[in-house]
Amino acid sequence: MEEIKTIKVTIDNISIDVAPGTTILNAARLIGGEVAPPAMCYYSSLEGSGGKCRTCLVEVAAGSTADPRPMPKLVASCRTNVMDGMVVKNITSDRVLDARKGVVEFLLINHPLDCPICDQAGECDLQDLSYDHGTEGTRYAFARRTFVKEDIGPYIQLHMTRCILCYRCVYVANQLTNERMHGIVDRGDHAAISTYISRAIDNDFSGNMIDVCPVGALTDRTFRFKNRVWFTKPMDAHRDCENPECCGKVTLWLRGEEVFRVTTRNDQWGEVQRFDGKAGWICNTCRFDKKETKDWVIEGLTTISRHSVIGANKYKILEMPKETIANVMHGRDPRLIMDIHSVSGVNEPGMDLSDINRPATSTDFEQHPQPKN
Amino acid sequence: MGKKLLLEKAEVPGIKGYEVYRREGGYRSVEKALKMAEAEVVEEVKKSGLRGRGGAGFPTGLKWSFIAKPEGVPRHLVVNADESEPGTFKDRYLMEFIPHLLLEGMIVSSYALGSNDSYIYIRGEYDWIADILQEAIEEAKQNGWLGNNILGSNFSCNIYVHRGAGAYICGEETALIESLEGKRGNPRIKPPFPAVKGVWDRPTVVNNVETIAAVVPIINDGGEEYSKIGVGKSTGTKLISACGNINKPGVYEIDMTISVEEFIYSDEWCGGIANGKKLKACIPGGSSVPILPANLLLTTAKGEKRLMNYESLSDGGFATGSMMGSGGFIVLDEDQCVVKHTYTLARFYRHESCGQCSPCREGTGWMEKILLNIEKGRGKMSDIDLLWDIQRKIEGNTICPLGDAAAWPVAAAIRHFRDEFEWHVLNPEESQRRNYGLAGYAEPLAIATV
Repeated sequence: MEEIKTIKVTIDNISIDVAPGTTILNAARLIGGEVAPPAMCYYSSLEGSGGKCRTCLVEVAAGSTADPRPMPKLVASCRTNVMDGMVVKNITSDRVLDARKGVVEFLLINHPLDCPICDQAGECDLQDLSYDHGTEGTRYAFARRTFVKEDIGPYIQLHMTRCILCYRCVYVANQLTNERMHGIVDRGDHAAISTYISRAIDNDFSGNMIDVCPVGALTDRTFRFKNRVWFTKPMDAHRDCENPECCGKVTLWLRGEEVFRVTTRNDQWGEVQRFDGKAGWICNTCRFDKKETKDWVIEGLTTISRHSVIGANKYKILEMPKETIANVMHGRDPRLIMDIHSVSGVNEPGMDLSDINRPATSTDFEQHPQPKN
Repeated sequence: MGKKLLLEKAEVPGIKGYEVYRREGGYRSVEKALKMAEAEVVEEVKKSGLRGRGGAGFPTGLKWSFIAKPEGVPRHLVVNADESEPGTFKDRYLMEFIPHLLLEGMIVSSYALGSNDSYIYIRGEYDWIADILQEAIEEAKQNGWLGNNILGSNFSCNIYVHRGAGAYICGEETALIESLEGKRGNPRIKPPFPAVKGVWDRPTVVNNVETIAAVVPIINDGGEEYSKIGVGKSTGTKLISACGNINKPGVYEIDMTISVEEFIYSDEWCGGIANGKKLKACIPGGSSVPILPANLLLTTAKGEKRLMNYESLSDGGFATGSMMGSGGFIVLDEDQCVVKHTYTLARFYRHESCGQCSPCREGTGWMEKILLNIEKGRGKMSDIDLLWDIQRKIEGNTICPLGDAAAWPVAAAIRHFRDEFEWHVLNPEESQRRNYGLAGYAEPLAIATV
C-alpha cells in the first residue's frame, strides 16, 4: 500500500501532520480548542464558502520550509492551504487578535442586537463570537441599517437586518436545490439577501438554509417564537425518508413530548455532520412535517458542549426543589404565579391580593380602586 | 519636451479612423510581431521594463510569463477599461481618440499570450467609447487584422467589447472576470490567481488599456529602446490625467524624468495653480493613493526633488510619500477643505464597496458617517482617533484592494492634516463658513529652493 504523504504545520506552537490540501482552519480544528479560529462564513460542506467574514484571519509567520518568509498580510485561514513547515500564529499573535476584534466590531455595528426576541439566541454564532472576541459597549453612534422583514415561502422568514452576508444560504441554494431563487442584491452596506421580487422559495431542501445561517436572519416559521432553544431538549433521531437525497438523521428539539423543531445534526463547529462521507442535509418533509415523536426512531440525547446554554446540565441531573410552592403557601396551590412590582400604580390596588384565594384578575382591580393619597 | 509614444499622433485629424491610422504607421507592430515567436514578444516586453499602468505597477512581462499553459485549454487576454478611479481619465482619452492603438496592442499581446478570444471590459458609463471601439474592431476585421489567420499566419484572434454596468469594483481584476462571466462582480479570493484560473477557469491575463497600448511602441522600437526612456525601474512614458485647481487640466504623456514641481508649474503641463493661488495638497495617483501636502509633494523627506515616477513618488513609504497609482493627478489649492475632500472620497468608497467582506462593507460606511459629522461641525475630538482606528482595521484585512483604497485616503488626510480636522471639531460654526486655508505645511516654492 502506498504511504499517504502528510505535511507538517505548526499552529500556535502546536505541530500537527495533515494531508496536503488541508486549509489552515481545518488543520487548527484538528488540534481543536482555542487554536481553531472562529468562522462565520466558512462551512466545510458548502463548496466555495469562506473568505468573506474575515474572522478567521491568522498570521503566517513562515510560509513553508522551502520558503520560510512570512506572509505580509493576515490571511483567511479558511481559504489558505497549509504548506509543509508552515508556521501559523492565531491566538499567539496580537496582530490577529486586534484584527479579529475589529472584524467583530464591524459585524456588530449594523446588527440590531435584538437577541432577547431573536429565535437564534442561544445557538447564535455571532453571540458566541462577540462574547469571545468582542468588546463591551460600542463606538458606533449612528442609526443602524434596517430592512423590512420578509416571508420567503411558507417555512422561512428572512430578517435581513440581522444578516451578516456570509453567503452560506446562497451556496445551499446553489448546491442543494435545483434552482436558486434568491441571491444578493445591491452592494456595500446596503447589500441584501433577497428573492428580488418577493418570491417564495419552494424547494425540498430549502430548509437547510435556516441551519447554515450563523445568525437569526433566516428563521424557521414553524418554530418562530414557540420556544427558546435552551428550554428545549435535543435528541438524536432518524427515520427512513422517501427522498433519496435526504439523510434522515436529525436532531429533534423537544419540550416534554412535543417536537418543537427538527434540524440537521450538527458537529462541534456548528456545521452539519457528515455520514458516510456525505453531508447530512435533510429534506423539508422531515424538517417541517414530521413533528411528532411517533414519526421518529429516537436514538438518545444529543451531546451538547457543556459550555452551551443548551447543555447547561438542566436535564441530565434534574433535582426537584425541596421547598415547593404548595409548602410555602401553606397548602394553597395557585394556578398563576405573578411577580408583582410596585413601580406602576396598577400594581398597588387598595386591597391585599393575598386575600383572594385564586389568581387575581383585572376585575379585582376595578372593584378595589387604587387608594387616593 | 518629453518624448511621446502613445499620444504622438493623437492630434492627427482623422486618426480615429483606420485609413489615417494605417497611413501614419499603424499596425506595423502586428506585422513585426507575427514574424517573431510568441516567447520573443514576451521577452521584448520583459526587456522594456514596462510596468502595469492600472495602479499597482507590476512588471507586465513578468505577469505574462506567469500565465499557465495547460494543454488544450484556451487562454484569454482581458483589457481592463473599467477606468473608474476618481481623477483618472487617461484610458478614456486613449480609447476615444486613437482606438486602433489599443486594438493593435491587443493583437500583439494576444499573439504573445496565445489568446484567440480577447476582451475589452469597458465601464458602462463610457458607452459612446464602446461604440467607437466596436467600430474600430469592424474596420480592423475588414482589413484583415482580426479574424482567422491574420496576415496569412496560423494566428487567429477576435476582440469583443463587454460593457460593465457601472461598478468601480469591477476594475479589480477578479471582480472584472466575474462580471465578464455574467455574474455579480464580487472579487474572488486569491489564490488561484487569474494567470492560472481566470475567465471560465482558463488562464487569463488582465491588463490596463495604457499597458496594452504601450506594447505597440515596444515592439516597433524594441524593448531595449523603450527601457532607455525614463529612470530606473520607471521606464517608458506614462499618461497622467491632471485635474483640480490647475490652469491646464488634461491628459499628458510624460517620460517620468520630470519633477513634480515642473509638472505642476510648467506651461507645458499643468500651467500652475489656477487663479494665482497657492498649492496646498495633491493626490498624485488617483483617489485611493495617499494625499500629500505641498512640501512633501515637491520634495521628499530626504530633501530631494520628487520626480514623477514610481520610485520617487513612493519614496518615504506612506509616512512621507504616496504612490504613482493610475496617474490621476488631483491638485488642491489653498481654498480647498481637506475634511470635505476626504468625506467625498469616503462617500465614494462606501458606495462602491461590493459588500462581500465585513471590514470594507461596514467600515467604509462608518468612516463616511463620522467624516460627515466632522465636516458638518458635529464632530468630536475622539472621532479623529476613531477614524484612524477604523481605517487601520480595514487596511490589509479585506479580500481585495478596495478596502486599502478606502483606508489610505483617510489615513493620509489624518496623518498630514490632523490640525485641519481638529480645527473643524473646535470651530464647528466657523468651519461651515470658511475653509481652513493654508497652514505651515504649504509654502511650496520656498521649501523647494531650500
